[in-house]
Amino acid sequence: MPPTITRRRFSNKTEDYGVFKPSRIAQIGQLSIYVQDIERSRQWYETLGGLRHSRTCEQEPHPFKPGWTIRCCYMSAADHKECLVLIEERDPEGKVTVPSGMSFFHTAFELEGNRLENVFAFAAQSKQGGFVPNYGPVRHNGDPPLGDGETGGNVACYFYDPDYNNVEFCGAMDTIENYRARYGDTRGSARA
Amino acid sequence: MNAHVGQPKIAPAKLQHHVIYVSDLKRSKDFYMKLFDLQFSALNHPDSSAAMRLSNQEMHFFSFGFYHHDICLVKHHKLKMDNNSMLHFTLMARDRDAFDAIRKSAAAMEIPVRDGRLIASAKTSPGQRSYCLQDPDQHWIEIIEEQRP
Repeated sequence: MPPTITRRRFSNKTEDYGVFKPSRIAQIGQLSIYVQDIERSRQWYETLGGLRHSRTCEQEPHPFKPGWTIRCCYMSAADHKECLVLIEERDPEGKVTVPSGMSFFHTAFELEGNRLENVFAFAAQSKQGGFVPNYGPVRHNGDPPLGDGETGGNVACYFYDPDYNNVEFCGAMDTIENYRARYGDTRGSARA
Repeated sequence: MNAHVGQPKIAPAKLQHHVIYVSDLKRSKDFYMKLFDLQFSALNHPDSSAAMRLSNQEMHFFSFGFYHHDICLVKHHKLKMDNNSMLHFTLMARDRDAFDAIRKSAAAMEIPVRDGRLIASAKTSPGQRSYCLQDPDQHWIEIIEEQRP
């Protein structure tokens, strides 16, 4: 896939900033997303995503919509227990709601091994399973031959889940240290 | 549905980053940086790449301090964001002091806080503290004190 339609790169218009200190947050702990059919989504996240089913709960009251209910399916990654919650949301009449796709752009899982080769192997095994990525595999930087002009350095491929949530599977993201080793303190605009 | 291929050989290790829609990038950037001390790591202008141009989006990237980005805020310049595809996300406070500092900042910013975990069926380790709050776009964020051995 060419990095841009015109094959020109635009990374000179991406501004990057050095990050040299930890925040108050260590990591993302959990994400809960709405799905229309837990079984359908569970199969997708198990089959393509490689997540493991932890548990599916009985219906419970919606945490902030009086009269509504939710049913939760907890999925785990290899090193991250119950990191994803698949939720069927029901209105007071019991009808399952349809996710809008407009709360988050995508969410990203880091693959075991965390290297470029692992992402390409994941993309290959996904293709073998009949899954087609909507983007990638690609590297999010401006370096040829893989770079797409984006930022972060991660190698990634993206798939839509059954509710058209965009899910990224990635590895080899820049850390602050190797990012600095590559670019020093030079900002994106100055690297053009 | 695609054919079942069994357990994939290459599987995810963890949830790594999350990219949420916001309606006002500056307002949300101020919120996340002030409350969580997230580090602003990159900015993609609407024309920074083919992907951004085609999707009519503008992204701000934030780091927890190790990876280039962990949370990203996206403004879609054509479509309206909502809260109807995500119930919440959880941020693990780095330690006890960070957990308390976030709560203190929330009070100073007059952000209402709800004690405990957001979803009743979510598991909590013994002694683990948690609370929830909403960002300027009403995204629910759960803050949990990370427990280290």
